[in-house]
Amino acid sequence: MPNEPAFNDASSDFRDLLNVSIPATADDVAKVSDKVAEILVGLGLAEEKQLEIGLALQEALANAVVHGCGNDPSKNVHCQLKSDSQGRLLIIVRDPGPGMDVGPRDTAKLSPNLYQDHGRGIYLIRQLMDDVRFERRGSEIQMWKY
Amino acid sequence: MDINIRKRSEVHVIQLRGQLRMGQAVDGLREAMEETVRSGGLYLVINMAEVPMIDSSGIGLLVKFLASTKGRGGNIKLLNPSKFAIQTLKLVGVLNLFEIFDDESKAVDSFG
Repeated sequence: MPNEPAFNDASSDFRDLLNVSIPATADDVAKVSDKVAEILVGLGLAEEKQLEIGLALQEALANAVVHGCGNDPSKNVHCQLKSDSQGRLLIIVRDPGPGMDVGPRDTAKLSPNLYQDHGRGIYLIRQLMDDVRFERRGSEIQMWKY
Repeated sequence: MDINIRKRSEVHVIQLRGQLRMGQAVDGLREAMEETVRSGGLYLVINMAEVPMIDSSGIGLLVKFLASTKGRGGNIKLLNPSKFAIQTLKLVGVLNLFEIFDDESKAVDSFG
C-alpha cells in the first residue's frame, strides 16, 4: 500500500496539525480523539463545531478499526488533521483493508430498522461534516469542515 | 468512563461520566447493564448529564438494551442528555424511542 493518502489538493495551503499512525485498538482511537479535541480547542472553534468534528472523527476511526482492520491490533490506522489559511479543516482516515461499498451520496440513508445496534457511523459522518469523500475503494475517508 | 449504579425502589439509576464511545466506555456500560438485567432490573434511568458525546456504538448499545428490556415489560429512560447528545440521537432517528427527563425523581416515578 502506498504511504501517502490519496488527497492531493495542489491549489490549497493545507498544513498538518496531526499526522499519526496508530494500532487498530479502541484505546488508541480514544487517544487520537482526545488529541484532536485538544487541537480543536486550541484553534478556538465553537464548541458545537468541535463536538461535530470530534464525533465524525470517532466514527471514522471506529470504522477503520472494526471494518478496515478487523480489530487486529497488529494493523495500523492512519489519521491526519489539516487546516488551511481559510480555516477549513480536513481529516483523513486510512486503513489497510480492502475498502467497502459506501454507495452514492444521495442514497446515504439510515436503515429503517431503528433498533439495529450498528450501521449508523457513515450516515452520522455525512450529517456532521460539510463534505465527505471516499478514496482507495473506501479504505480512505476524507472529511471537510468549513 | 465512570459508572455509578443506585437503586431507587425498583428503578436502577445508572449515572455516567465521560464520553460514551467505542471501547472501555461502551464495554463498561454494557457490563453494567447486563449485570443489572441479570439481577432482575427491568426499569433503568440513564443519567447522561455528564456525557458530552455519544457515538454510534453507544447509541447502538442503548437501543439494543431498550429493545430487550421493553420486550420483557421494562424500559430505559434518559435523564438530562446534553444538547449535543440529543442532536446526535435525533440525527440517527432514535431520539423518539426514548423518554427524556430533566429531573431524576420524575424519571423514577414515571415507571409507575
